Amino acid sequence: MSGAAGRVREDLLALVPDLGVWWYALALLPLLLAAALLLGLGRRRVPPGHRVVHRGSMATAGLSALGVAGVALDRPVLELSWIPSLGVSFSLRPDGLSVPLLLLTALVGVVATALHLHPAREPRPEPVDLADTDPTSPIPVVRGEDVPGLATYHACLQVVLLGALVAFLAGDALVFFIGFELVLVPMWVLVARYGDPGSDREGAALRFLLVTVVGSSLVLLGILAVASATGTTDLALWAAEGGASLGRGSQLAVAAVLLVGLGLKIPVFPLHTWLPWVHATAPTAGSVLLAAVLLKLGTYGVVRLVVPVVPEGFAAWSPLLAGLGVTGIFWASLVCLVERDLKRLIAWSSVAHLGFVVLGLATGTQAGLQAALFGNVAHGLVSALLFVVVGGLKHRWGSADLGRRRAAVREVAPRLGLALVLGMAASSGLPGLAVFWGEIGSVLAAWGPAADRPEGWFRAFAVLAAVGGALAVAYTVRVLREVWAGDRVEPRVPDAELTERTALRMLGLLVLVLGLAPTLLLGVTAPFVEGVLAR
Amino acid sequence: MSLELGLVSVLPVLAPVAAAVLVLLLDVVVPGRREPHLVLGAGGLVAGLLGALPGLRVGAGEVRSALCLPGGWCAYRADHLVSALQVCALGAALVVLVLTWRDWAAPGRDGGPEGTGRAPVVTALLLAATAGVVAVPASGDLGSLLVSLELATLPTVALVALVRTTWAADRRARAVDGAVSLLTTSLVSFGLLALGAALWVAATGSTRFDGRTQVDHPQLVVLAAVLLVAGLAFKLSAVPFHAWTPITYAAAPLPVTAYLATVSKVAALGGLVVLVRALGAVDGATLVAVAVLAAASMTVGNLVALVQHDTVRLLAWSTVAQAGWVLLPLASVSAQAASAAGSYLVVYVTATTLAFVVLAAVVAVAPVARPTSLEAQRGLLRTHPLLALPLALALLTLAGLPPAVAGVVAKVVALRPVLGDETWWLALVAAVNIALGLAVYLRWVAVLLAPAPTEAGPPRSQVPTRLWALTGVLTAVLVVGSVLPVGAL
Repeated sequence: MSGAAGRVREDLLALVPDLGVWWYALALLPLLLAAALLLGLGRRRVPPGHRVVHRGSMATAGLSALGVAGVALDRPVLELSWIPSLGVSFSLRPDGLSVPLLLLTALVGVVATALHLHPAREPRPEPVDLADTDPTSPIPVVRGEDVPGLATYHACLQVVLLGALVAFLAGDALVFFIGFELVLVPMWVLVARYGDPGSDREGAALRFLLVTVVGSSLVLLGILAVASATGTTDLALWAAEGGASLGRGSQLAVAAVLLVGLGLKIPVFPLHTWLPWVHATAPTAGSVLLAAVLLKLGTYGVVRLVVPVVPEGFAAWSPLLAGLGVTGIFWASLVCLVERDLKRLIAWSSVAHLGFVVLGLATGTQAGLQAALFGNVAHGLVSALLFVVVGGLKHRWGSADLGRRRAAVREVAPRLGLALVLGMAASSGLPGLAVFWGEIGSVLAAWGPAADRPEGWFRAFAVLAAVGGALAVAYTVRVLREVWAGDRVEPRVPDAELTERTALRMLGLLVLVLGLAPTLLLGVTAPFVEGVLAR
Repeated sequence: MSLELGLVSVLPVLAPVAAAVLVLLLDVVVPGRREPHLVLGAGGLVAGLLGALPGLRVGAGEVRSALCLPGGWCAYRADHLVSALQVCALGAALVVLVLTWRDWAAPGRDGGPEGTGRAPVVTALLLAATAGVVAVPASGDLGSLLVSLELATLPTVALVALVRTTWAADRRARAVDGAVSLLTTSLVSFGLLALGAALWVAATGSTRFDGRTQVDHPQLVVLAAVLLVAGLAFKLSAVPFHAWTPITYAAAPLPVTAYLATVSKVAALGGLVVLVRALGAVDGATLVAVAVLAAASMTVGNLVALVQHDTVRLLAWSTVAQAGWVLLPLASVSAQAASAAGSYLVVYVTATTLAFVVLAAVVAVAPVARPTSLEAQRGLLRTHPLLALPLALALLTLAGLPPAVAGVVAKVVALRPVLGDETWWLALVAAVNIALGLAVYLRWVAVLLAPAPTEAGPPRSQVPTRLWALTGVLTAVLVVGSVLPVGAL
């Protein structure tokens, strides 16, 4: 723990009550109870009004966020014997790797539950040009309203959060896997039932489900292979052993299976094809959770299950992984230059950002790992911010098609416009905003990779990644020109309402803070990174 | 030569047999009554269950044996795993009996040919079959194995064929069709088993499973083992020996289908466990045979289940796929293989029984013509949430997806031995099948979750109390198994 951050943490620790493992109860139980309660309520003949459900759900996420903050500060260790016959214990053990992601999940959870769900409507009539515009065309509702199945929707959000928190907290591989899988069914329901009815939402949901289930089945194979070689499922013991009980062939096989499985989730080029479709279809909160939390499960899995556990296997595959990451950066950035659906465009830019994260991971250096972890969190914040904006715009416009002429966001919705500018600027890697440190760090680390990596290849990857990063500026300019700038003021759309404003402020502030003071986050992850790559 | 009896240990087998005999005697004494027969049958199953329960507490390596010879060999040996299988079979049989209670006790129309109902005959058949199932995993020699396997199979043929005379003629004809295909395949499988047994005796010179003292012809043992596995695969409905399954399941009355899908599978797996243990260190050829059976079963079962429009047929094909999962651990040399297969089977039987119970309840209340079709269950979560949630739990358990952690742990237990061996091709087939299986079961769950169709009319009747009780108990078992999983037996 570096000096300043460490002192801050100690001061904060002195302030918080010492709840020990009860922090876990505060972090996890509200989500579980609220999900059960909401499912029960939703089944009643007369479901509760949207205010009750919405506020209850937000309060739950807030309570859980409080618990997560306590866990992050206190870092209690919970060990319960769970399945003795398999040697599995229910252990929760946060460390420098998981704490930033836990906090991110808690924050995004509050944001996702706060966003209003709106029933599907017909797209607004397309204004042919300014003269034909119908100035009385209905202005969409942006406040909360009664939507059929609202309680089930919020219950699904809570279960997704619960699963993600369990996966990030887990100190045991099987507990991680159960958390990893727990998010699937609720996410599937979110996309299939509450997604954009204008697109093939059931197809998108099924695609999401099958792809991620294939991924998690492969992860299960990898976990079980390591478990049967080491005789334990304790993640700390796996990391301490560093693959000593697996031969080189086994390490290669295990690393391949795990990387493909997790690569489907991250997603790494060419396993990314499901992501843009699902993002384009999912409801706004679903997109926010998917980008900021679910994709993180993939990168977290690589850092937790692959890098320290089968180092030799990972080193062997890392040039390929880095190459695929760079290809992803290029491919996604080029697609962003022509993509017509704004929400899908943001999803593609996610693929590009995660390409940088994968590149950083593959370098096998402390700097690379640090950059990857930083980029991971930064991408979570920025993509959550952008999906809040873009999801809001899609609801207001009735579609996210960039081909239609619309009012300039700068003119009609300046607050949303400001958030969009901030998000896109951060996304293009502007210095002073969060994503910059992750991307520059990854490129620098790729220039000087670990000794067992082919230096020439990695230098080429570094150059290509830097060029790909420049493409991000091009698509940022494109989005801002088509959406933000201009002088049309019809058809009018309402500006950000209270929950959106609050969410955007929180996320935007964090993007700025992390951009200006990256050591806040780097200091938290440093001990973990030194522990992993000290060997 | 004196035989040590130890009848207390054999109670799980003796109680159903005794009850079957008593049921027939009772019918002579009180030919006009029906309920006493069913009560007596249930009593026999409960007595067997209570007799098997102490076996769950015996430690590793300990055996409750009976019918022992002075040399130490016993014709009946029940250790922890065997007792667990017996408890599972007896419990599932009891569920089936309760499920079919009303149907079997009811007299026919207007004092027709079934004026007094069919309870005595069918109850005795059910008890006899269950006694056979319970005896299979405990058998200590080839003779008892073959006899108890046939005892477990032949009565079920009659159970499939003996449908109510009040059924429509074509429906009854189909039931006879189903019974005939079951009979044919069971005869073929018995032929394979008998051939395998003969080769076994020729190779080892003994019918007893007491560790092979001398093996004169190792090749013959391999051949015998492969034939025996094939014979048992018929019972387990593993591909390519599965052809009877969809026909018979769709034709038989629902409770009998539930019996075939759960209790009968215990017999097949019990036989495999006995075989694997008798072989000791299993040789390569048998392993490959089992691996191919497992991979083919799960893949074919899931792919065909994916396009079914009737829930009973879907469950029939899912049985084929799950048979592959039960076989999966047996394809490894690991010592835990038998216990892993048994653990998976227990979870499978619990979840499948629950699914059938809910299905019976849906049939009881559904206002539509074909209540078992997938389409008839659209929106069940909205119309009958207390039926839909247990059903969804059972399906998620079969799929192996949280929140049904019991199913996840069962998949973990089944996969572990395979990955211990690093049989990567089999593990990858299994991984793909996890995804396929998920598509199968979630297709059903999606129908349950979908918005209900516009008013289909008032429900025909209330769900009977006994079905509520069964649903409650089985759901509780699955929930407890998800919160505190047992893992490997």
